[in-house]
Amino acid sequence: MDPVFTWIETTSLSIWLRESPSLWAFPFVLILHTVGLAFLVGSNVLVDVRVLGMARGVPLRTLERYGVVMWSGFWLNAVSGVLLLIAYPTKALTNPLFFVKLALIAIGLGMWTKLRARLSALPVPEAPVLPPRLKALAAASLICWAAGITAGRLLAYTYSRLTVDLIG
Amino acid sequence: MTLDSALRALEITLRTSPPGVWIRHSVWGWPVLESLHFMGMSVLIGTIGLFDLRLLGFARGVPYAALHRLIPLGIGAYTLNLVTGLCFLSGMPDQYLWNPAFRFKVTFMAVAGLNVLFFYTRVFRRLEQLAPDTPPPFGARLAGAVSLAMWIGVMSAGRLLTFFRPPYV
Repeated sequence: MDPVFTWIETTSLSIWLRESPSLWAFPFVLILHTVGLAFLVGSNVLVDVRVLGMARGVPLRTLERYGVVMWSGFWLNAVSGVLLLIAYPTKALTNPLFFVKLALIAIGLGMWTKLRARLSALPVPEAPVLPPRLKALAAASLICWAAGITAGRLLAYTYSRLTVDLIG
Repeated sequence: MTLDSALRALEITLRTSPPGVWIRHSVWGWPVLESLHFMGMSVLIGTIGLFDLRLLGFARGVPYAALHRLIPLGIGAYTLNLVTGLCFLSGMPDQYLWNPAFRFKVTFMAVAGLNVLFFYTRVFRRLEQLAPDTPPPFGARLAGAVSLAMWIGVMSAGRLLTFFRPPYV
């Protein structure tokens, strides 16, 4: 894989992201990735805690409105994440934890989709008591996102290979 | 006493405090607290941030008072982040106290706090009575916009901390 990493690291985009002194280069991409994370996971938290029984006055059918916030956060992070990867491909792609993080994100998104489908298939649309399986799914979703965040944070501490200098 | 000598005294107090000593000597303390700090941030945006969006008119049909019931969870997340944040500050106070990004972050937090006062004294009582389909009044939109801008500012300044670190003391 090394020639691929080297090729990515020598593209002008990768060099600009790493070496530009501008705050609009690497620091801004990092800010986007953090704000996107907050809205992506935040939307999941809102839906999950509602299903678990908080804020019962929020109608279940209105929860789908938060899908646009969730997916905006997701796409913002998909794009900013690819840019971070272009800046430091070796650092992430040689760390097994990076793939654990990606898997947790995929599982989290799958649980969001499944939860939405089960909510719209409820026999009683605004049922005051939700099935335990639905609540278990919401709880699993919260745990999954917490694990994803932890995996992401630990990437800064667990990498073993770096072929270019780190900034910041 | 000048501001700088006060900051120097505070720097020593924080650095030698038990949480400061603990986090500096612990191998996993910093990464674990950072993970908690990011979880707290996500919960804060998922409660306070999404309530701010509601105040701006987003997700019409969600009752204002019902969504407001999530605010205590947001305050819990804020408290978690205040505690973990104070641990970071105590661990390496010299990296924060003279850091312009940290000063921006604290300023944004203070403005968000004043905005909370404005919201509960001028907006909340009237908002509680509104039907879910009523567009938010001007005061609610203002409070929502200020809060959202400040929390995005807090996250951005937080992310910029490492790029403005002064040399280690």
